[in-house]
Amino acid sequence: MLKRTFRHLFHVGGVLFILAVMSGCTLLRGPVYPDVIYNNRQPLISVTYEYGEIEVRLPLNYIGAVPDNISFEVYAQGDTSNPIITILQEAPRVFIAYLPQGVLDIHNKSNLIKIIPQDTNFDPVSIRFQGIRFGRIQLPPKSIRMQQLVVSGRVFLNRNDSTVAGVNVSMQNYDNVIKEIVTNDSGYYQIAVPGEYKYAKHLRLVAGENLIFKPYKQLLDFSEAFRIKVNIGVGPSAELADPLYVTNRENVQFREKPDIGAKTLFLLEEGEPVSVSRVTPGEYHGSIEVEVNQKKNVQMNGWVYRSDLILLDLNNIFKKEIRDETSL
Amino acid sequence: MKRHYSGLIFSLLASTCLFGQVKLSVNTIPKKVDVMLDGINIGESPIKNERITPGVHKFEINKEGYAPLTYDLLVNPAQAIHLDFFLNPIYQVKFKTEERGLVFELNGEHQWDREFIRLNLEAGDHFLRVFKLNEIIDEQTIHVDQPKKFNYYLKKPVSEE
Repeated sequence: MLKRTFRHLFHVGGVLFILAVMSGCTLLRGPVYPDVIYNNRQPLISVTYEYGEIEVRLPLNYIGAVPDNISFEVYAQGDTSNPIITILQEAPRVFIAYLPQGVLDIHNKSNLIKIIPQDTNFDPVSIRFQGIRFGRIQLPPKSIRMQQLVVSGRVFLNRNDSTVAGVNVSMQNYDNVIKEIVTNDSGYYQIAVPGEYKYAKHLRLVAGENLIFKPYKQLLDFSEAFRIKVNIGVGPSAELADPLYVTNRENVQFREKPDIGAKTLFLLEEGEPVSVSRVTPGEYHGSIEVEVNQKKNVQMNGWVYRSDLILLDLNNIFKKEIRDETSL
Repeated sequence: MKRHYSGLIFSLLASTCLFGQVKLSVNTIPKKVDVMLDGINIGESPIKNERITPGVHKFEINKEGYAPLTYDLLVNPAQAIHLDFFLNPIYQVKFKTEERGLVFELNGEHQWDREFIRLNLEAGDHFLRVFKLNEIIDEQTIHVDQPKKFNYYLKKPVSEE
């Protein structure tokens, strides 16, 4: 019992001793001011922005020919007078431009790339596109081609200058037909072919292959222009007197005299008009028109076998297989 | 009703995709500090790959032993924004004087008249005024850049030296 009382006293005394030591230390350290005292010094803060780039990629396809240099102009936000960047470079397979963030319209297709080949044979082209804030824009491929070559005009009968509808007109390189059309109801035609044929040496216009006359053929030279006007006269001229016949096959001999072994002046194509002036049991004597310099025609006389000619009906000048489409 | 909610969710997602495109990273000194963005805890620094929308935002950082920091920032449309916050530490300064009857005032608002006191001061300059019998007898700036002991004594007039 006594022992337990002493133990209690010992514990109480120990606690009192610890409290005394602690309070003594606190007194030694001094009191603490209750508030933290700020001086409102501006803290040091660093703000760094990272702006992204816009990479625009535009694949280009060159059809036929490739221009030496191309000027690319990039416009944004519907402004088509002040490009945000202009790049002149050799014709690339893929045009790549890097633009600063935020310059493009990201809501509408009001951004524009103008592709201006530094070659008058090529037409400028434009691409409208919708922008992004930053990152890469992959645009669909764009074709760059030379300006089209256009030949146009009307087809008329040499004899009376009336236009002819439904006449086949084609543009050919050697014997390869590039494009073929027929004249419209007014007798007019227009053919456009890719600019890559600009410097072709054997480009020609052929008309009237569906007519009974020999086809009209003319070499075309686009080296000076992209548009050519050619009015095509078919059939015999008014100077060739009636009655008129046309050859009914290729390589018809047009001879100087009716005698066997006489000199052959020309081998006539199928559809060559002949003005007959004399008739013998086996041959016709007549005149043909021969074109000399500067499209001037002269008439030449000669002899043709009767079996090589048929009478010309100017009211029906189309070959039989498409006779239903004829009109004058 | 279901369609209504799905439309709402879609519009929220769309607006997030359209406008929440600025990547945010936050560094602090010291590290491992909770960062509040517009009242929402976005995590402990360093923070990376967080997203923030362009516009005005409020950052708040509190850490024991440092002055609380509040910063309003207008976020511009950009790919990313990096923020570095250097918190001002609070140092414990022991202030002691042997002069009697003086009243001390710091930064125009904190006063005491004890000869020995411990102060928690934000790092930087503090403006001290000393009063005796309600009259200013001394003014000086205290520069605090570490825990230290500050002994104050009155400069005696030249005639007394």
